[in-house]
Amino acid sequence: MTELALLPHQQSNRPLDLPYTTFQHLLKSKMEENPEKTFLIFPESDRSYTYREFHHLTLVTASWLRPHGQFGGTICILFRNTPEFLAVFFGAAALGMAVVPINPDLAPPEIEFIIQNSGCRSVCYDPDMRGKLASLQAELPEVSFFTLANADDLPPVDAASIEASLPRVDPTMPAAIIYTSGTTGFPKGVILSHMNFLVDGGGMAQWFQFTPETRSLCILPLFHNNGLVVSLTTTLQAGGSIVMMDPKASLRSFWALVSRYKATNTSVMPSILAAILAFGFDGSPGALKGIICGGQLLPLNLAHQFEARFSIPIFEGFGSTEAASYSCFNPFPAEKRKLGSVGKVLPVCEMKVVDESDTELPDGVEGELCIRGANVAIGYHNLPELQAARFRNGWYHSGDYGMRDRDGYYYFRGRNDDLIVKGGEKIYPVEIENVLATHPAVSECAVIGVEDAILGQEICAFAKLADSANVSEADLLRHCAESLARFKQPKRVVILNWLSDMREFPKGPTRKILYRELREYYYQRLANAADPEALKWVLGV
Amino acid sequence: MTLQEIYEAISPMAEQTLQIPHFDSTVSMTSTPSWDSLKHVQLLSAIERKLGIEIGNEDAFKLTSADRLVKYVFSVLEGEAR
Repeated sequence: MTELALLPHQQSNRPLDLPYTTFQHLLKSKMEENPEKTFLIFPESDRSYTYREFHHLTLVTASWLRPHGQFGGTICILFRNTPEFLAVFFGAAALGMAVVPINPDLAPPEIEFIIQNSGCRSVCYDPDMRGKLASLQAELPEVSFFTLANADDLPPVDAASIEASLPRVDPTMPAAIIYTSGTTGFPKGVILSHMNFLVDGGGMAQWFQFTPETRSLCILPLFHNNGLVVSLTTTLQAGGSIVMMDPKASLRSFWALVSRYKATNTSVMPSILAAILAFGFDGSPGALKGIICGGQLLPLNLAHQFEARFSIPIFEGFGSTEAASYSCFNPFPAEKRKLGSVGKVLPVCEMKVVDESDTELPDGVEGELCIRGANVAIGYHNLPELQAARFRNGWYHSGDYGMRDRDGYYYFRGRNDDLIVKGGEKIYPVEIENVLATHPAVSECAVIGVEDAILGQEICAFAKLADSANVSEADLLRHCAESLARFKQPKRVVILNWLSDMREFPKGPTRKILYRELREYYYQRLANAADPEALKWVLGV
Repeated sequence: MTLQEIYEAISPMAEQTLQIPHFDSTVSMTSTPSWDSLKHVQLLSAIERKLGIEIGNEDAFKLTSADRLVKYVFSVLEGEAR
């Protein structure tokens, strides 16, 4: 292999071990090692694929996709965790196209933004989404929308000749652009290369000692990096099997699935652990060796409760989309962990803690967490200023704050901005404020994250109405629902005009809204009245 | 109960839980963003209470559309009737 052209923030003192150069190379290698081994199981649709079958399916799909894209181009896909998602993902990657996975639950304006921002000219989607996408198809005549109901029904091809005709894809070429919430109110596209995925997935597979006997239960969405890397790429690197579940349908069945499929590991958000405990879903860990957990702060008491009840260790880690997924983890096996920490750095990258002037801080001192290595993304799509700000001096600056102890364990403390993390979904308040502000009755608004027993955080909006306005909270919630995905919609909108003790926004000397005071007001005056018990709301009782 | 009668029995609670205007055969998790993981749990619990049936945890993950859900309830009720 020729020497790779690494970006400054991808260079580190860690050895770059890249036995597989692309997704297609990895899949083919594993297929050749063990062709009849079960690779993917989809319990919902009663479909499963051996390595040989799935490798063949990716070639069939690549052949079908050819008219819809070109080498170096992009393709948007909207699927749940189905065989079609993975067939198109691997097929497109084999053709040298970058896949832009879109959350099917986003609102049409949000989907439109990603299609346009990514420059995609092709959108492949689940036929169940036809109704939602109808208006977009009319608004974007230059974009080709096409469905894939069942990849197994694609026309047969001569797989060998398709494979022979595949282009040479460089490991540093984009494999995916994953959109994540942005500080400007618009999502930002993170460009991840084949190398990013394979290096991070390989590092994690090694960390958790994955083998061909590994059976992962994937209950997180594939349109996020966690599902793509932690469940898919890691297990594929080990030549193991993956049980692919719909994240929206699997919560109640969690233990039944662990048991039926003899899962050895799974990856979750803390909110899933909280929900399993809150709903009282009981079960046995069976063959489960551990639960990988991250994406939002894991409360220590939640970890203790879950481990005490189910006798299964939780491995908390830290990462970000910009670093493919995780960059550090608590060590495996469980006795090496330090509960409350996010663990040690994976062998594929380096981390450090810096102050505001980018000076590295000593152990025990809090600062911004920075990452560099071959797992770190190419950068942001068409956002040069943000790129320069976050990828600087040879490091990715995460915006997350924490520290390292003298044993090399990292601790996550929080964000340096107002990012809301609700059930693992990251949402910047400005995204909701931009929508709320377009309501003609709203003269000013602000959005904060507030504590939630299950989801970690919920969204609370505050609005100041124009003097003559006559709208209700329900009207404003409906307005938000028209433009925002459900998970971004506020749980409530507090109308300042109706409050007796805060009829105006608290503001500082520069007339900026003081979010900290809004949060204090919420907890002192509203939290109990608005939400007597978060659990009751979730349970609907 | 017939499939139609099950639809009629389930629809009000499904419409309320999922906050949708109509619960019919076109409704699925994919087409209904409000049908999220917590609502799925709530919906199944509500159906169990209303119809006095038990939905197996090992079956719950397959009930991802109105059609699948109604047919599943039908099969449970059929089984109880025998």
